[in-house]
Amino acid sequence: MKSRTQGHGADTQTAAGSGNDVEAFDQLYREHVDRIYRFAQRMCGQEDDAKDLVQDTFLNAYRGLKNFRGDAQISTWLYTIASRASIRMRRKRKGGPERELSLDEFIPTSEGEFRLQIPTEGLTPQEALENKEIRRALHQAIVKLPKKYRLVLVLRDMEGLTAREVGSIMGLNERAVKSRLHRARLFVRRELSARGIAGHPHLARTTGST
Amino acid sequence: MSTARRAMAIYRSPLHPHHGHSKARCVKVLRRLSAYLDDELSVGICKEIRKHLGACPNCEEFVASLRQTVSLCGHVNPAPLSPAFKARLRTQILQAAGRG
Repeated sequence: MKSRTQGHGADTQTAAGSGNDVEAFDQLYREHVDRIYRFAQRMCGQEDDAKDLVQDTFLNAYRGLKNFRGDAQISTWLYTIASRASIRMRRKRKGGPERELSLDEFIPTSEGEFRLQIPTEGLTPQEALENKEIRRALHQAIVKLPKKYRLVLVLRDMEGLTAREVGSIMGLNERAVKSRLHRARLFVRRELSARGIAGHPHLARTTGST
Repeated sequence: MSTARRAMAIYRSPLHPHHGHSKARCVKVLRRLSAYLDDELSVGICKEIRKHLGACPNCEEFVASLRQTVSLCGHVNPAPLSPAFKARLRTQILQAAGRG
């Protein structure tokens, strides 16, 4: 990792230093808080955890800002801080156990397991996600993932980073990122396949889309 | 019956005839599906996979469901923070950093 983020905690000089650090922080916060909050919501099972994660991330970023050399994109640097903070967060009841996922466990063993049981046929992903139950099922599947797999899936498939960027954030080579991503996707697919949702989304639109 | 044996039985089920294909080939395809969806494989391997998918309804359904899953993940849009909360959070961060 090229960017220096080791300033957490120990670098109180930065926080106490004079100059334009608050101004620099404000710009960083203004430009990136929405992105980091979106990431936090995708990573966390609960709203309060997501807000705590945003706070931890920007506090650490504030402390490390002076040391940021600009040889990594600032968004990648922030994702690195946020990812480390999310790994440190105590696993709450919804978080999956930290175990390795093996490919063998994703081989379907009964007829119904090959397809998704959620009714998405003929709908765009946006339309499918307007259904509260589908949205919830997906969210629950993602937060059930062991964290190191969830992190890869969130960064790659939800935040849209490249495998190389995810590797740089997590300290992994691209091959390891792709391997984890594949297992994470298979896990979520299996969860969505195992969870039957009754009815058709068109009938459930009134459930809202917040 | 072991998981692998049950899987093999499903792949050979008369409901989903699997003429000329072994379960080993299905598993080989399954291992590469993300790379296939992300267009990271060589033309030759893609062609092989497409050929298998055309002949194996179970794998065809499986790949469609994985594609749907990835696509759903890419379209989740959480609600943004309110401006009031953002301002409050900023104050809390600066206070915690000793700049409040």
